[in-house]
Amino acid sequence: MATIAVRTRKSRKSDGIAFSEMSLRQNASVLEYCRTSISALSGATAGIMGLTGLWGFIFYFITAAMLSVLLLLKAGSRWNTFFVTRTVLFSNGLLGGLFTYVLFWTFLYGMVHVY
Amino acid sequence: MAQQMSLSEARTILKKFRDEQTRDSHLIINLWNSVLMDNCHKLGDELWLVYEQVCAAALDCQRFDTAELCIQALDNKFPKSIRVRRLKGMLYEAREEYTDAEEEYNSILEKDETNMYAKKRKIAILKARQKISEAIHSLNDYLKSFMTDYEAWNELCDLYLSQLDYNNAAFCLEELIMYNPHNHLYHQKYAEIRYTQGGNENIELARTYFAQAVKLNPNNLRALYGFFLSSSYLAVSSNKGVKDKQLNQKYSAWAAEQIQNKYESQQPESQLKETKVIECIEKLLDSLQAN
Amino acid sequence: MAELLLDSNIRVWVFLPIVLITFLIGILRHYVTILLSSEKKSELRQVSDSHALIRSRILRENGKYIPKQSFLVRKSFFNNEDKGFFKVEKRESQAKNPMTDPSMMTDMMKGNVTNVLPMIIIGGWINWAFSGFLTTKVPFPLTFRFKPMLQRGVELITLDASWVSSASWYFLNVFGLRSMYTLILGQDNAADQTRAMQDQMSGSAMMAPPDPMKAFKAEWEALEVATHDWALEGVEEELTGGIIQPETIYLRSKN
Repeated sequence: MATIAVRTRKSRKSDGIAFSEMSLRQNASVLEYCRTSISALSGATAGIMGLTGLWGFIFYFITAAMLSVLLLLKAGSRWNTFFVTRTVLFSNGLLGGLFTYVLFWTFLYGMVHVY
Repeated sequence: MAQQMSLSEARTILKKFRDEQTRDSHLIINLWNSVLMDNCHKLGDELWLVYEQVCAAALDCQRFDTAELCIQALDNKFPKSIRVRRLKGMLYEAREEYTDAEEEYNSILEKDETNMYAKKRKIAILKARQKISEAIHSLNDYLKSFMTDYEAWNELCDLYLSQLDYNNAAFCLEELIMYNPHNHLYHQKYAEIRYTQGGNENIELARTYFAQAVKLNPNNLRALYGFFLSSSYLAVSSNKGVKDKQLNQKYSAWAAEQIQNKYESQQPESQLKETKVIECIEKLLDSLQAN
Repeated sequence: MAELLLDSNIRVWVFLPIVLITFLIGILRHYVTILLSSEKKSELRQVSDSHALIRSRILRENGKYIPKQSFLVRKSFFNNEDKGFFKVEKRESQAKNPMTDPSMMTDMMKGNVTNVLPMIIIGGWINWAFSGFLTTKVPFPLTFRFKPMLQRGVELITLDASWVSSASWYFLNVFGLRSMYTLILGQDNAADQTRAMQDQMSGSAMMAPPDPMKAFKAEWEALEVATHDWALEGVEEELTGGIIQPETIYLRSKN
C-alpha cells in the first residue's frame, strides 16, 4: 500500500515542465510555413523535371524528410526547447503539404511537358 | 542612443515592445525623435500603431508636444475611433485635468460599455488622486464583471497592500498564482504576505510558498531568505512536536547553505569578508542548533 | 494508348487564366472580408459571463496551487447552494433567432457574400467560358473512379483517367491554393495577427457562449466534482533533497 502512495507522488511531481502555449502555437505555425513552402518548391521542381507516377511521390517524401532533417540540425541538441516531441518535426502537416505538392507538380508538369 | 540607428532596427525594437508590452518610454521617445519622426511616410500601415505607442510613451515622459502631435495625426485618420479618444483622455490625465479625462472616458463607456480600458483608466484616475479606498471599491466592482483580468487583480493586490489589508491582498495573489502557477514572483510575494501576517499556520504556508518559488527559480535569493527565515522561526516556535522542529532546522540549514553558496560564487574573496549577512545567518543557525 | 497532343493555345488562354483567376479571387476575397467585417458588439453581461466561466475553469485546473482553504472559498463562491454564482445568476437564453435579429442577418449575409457567392458565380462563369477543354494531365496514373471527379464537362469513356478538364482544374485550384493563401496573406498580416493574440490575452475578444445557463450548468457540474489536491505538499522536502518516508506519505495522502 505504501509503495503505491509513493509512486503516485512521484508521477505527479514529474509533470513539472511548463509550456508556453503562445510559443507552441508560434512554433507550429512557423513549421507549417516551412512545410508549405518546401512542398510548393519541390512540387515545382518535380513538375519541371517531369517526374511521373511513383517517382513524384517518392520525391515528395524525400524532400519532406530532408526538410525535417535540416530542421533537426538547426534545432540541434536543443530541440526540446522548441517542440514537445521530435516526431512533430517529421509528421506535422505532411498530408496537407502533399496536396500543395500535387497541385504544383500537376501545374508545372502541364505547363512544360503536356503541350 | 545618439548613434544613428537604422529605420528598420528602430521599427523592430518598437514592434518588440508592442508585442511584449514593454514600457521603456524614454527609449521609445528617443527612437521617435532621432529616427522615426523624419521617416513617418516609410512606415506604411504600421505608422498608426507607432503613433499610438509613441503617444503613450510621450505621456509617460511628460512630452505633451509629441503626444499632441500623435493624437492629432491619429484623429485626422480615424475621427471616430474609441482608441484615439482613450489617448485623449490619457493626455488630460497626464496634465492632471482629471475631470476632463473622466468625461472623456464616460463618453467612451456610453458608446461601448464593455470597454475595459476606459474603466481601468477611471480607476487609475482615482488612484492618482489618492482616493485609494474608492479605487479599491471600484476595482472590486470592475473585477466582478471582468473576473479574469489579471492586471487588475495585480493592481488590487498592491492597493490592498498599501492599505495593509493583508488578507485581501493574499486573496488577489491566489488568483494570480492560479492564473500563472509558474511565475516564481507570485509565489514569493504570496509567501511574503503570509509571513507578514504571522502566526504559526501562516508562516508554515509562507515556508511552503517560498520553497515553491525557490524550486521554480533557484536563483531567487529573496525567496531563499524567506525560506530561511520562516523555517528558522518555525524551528523555534513550532508546536507540532520535536520532529517538526527538527525538520525545520534541516530546512533552515539547507537554505543557509544555499545562500552562502550564492554569495561565495558571486562575490570575490575580499568582499566576502565584509559581508555581514553570512555571519548573521551562521549565528542564527548556531543558536537554533543550541536549542 | 496514344498520347494526346493539346493545342498550346489552350495553355495560354485556358490553363493559365484559370490558375490566375482562382488565385486573385482568393486574395480579393480576403481583403473584402477584412473590409466588410464589422466589430463584434458584445453586451457587458455576456462578457462578464464568459469571464466567470473562464475563471471557474482556471480554478479547476490550477486550484491545486493554492491552499485548500482558499480553494474552498472560491468553490463556494461559484457553487454554494444558496448564494453561489452559478446558482443565483439567471440568464435569459440568448439563442437568438437569426430572422428576428437584423445584425445576425447582416453577418450571415456578409459570410454568404464573401464565401459562397463568389464560388458559385466564378465557378459558373468558368464553366461557361472555358467549358469542354482538356487542360492538363496529372503526372501519375489514376483509376477510372476518378474520371467523374477530374473530367467534369468532358464525357469521353475511353479517355485515360489522368486527363483533367477545365472545370475540374478550377476546383483543384480552389482547394489546393488554400495553404498558399496562408503562406502569402499570413505573412503580410503579421501585425494584425499579433493584435488579435493580444486581444485574446486580455480577454476582450472572447466569444460569449450562446446559452449561458447551459454553460453555467455544465461548469457547475464540473466544479462540483473537482477536488483539491495540493500540488505544493512536501515541496520543502523535495527541495532540500530529502527522501520522504513512505509511511508519512501514505498517511498524508489519505486525509
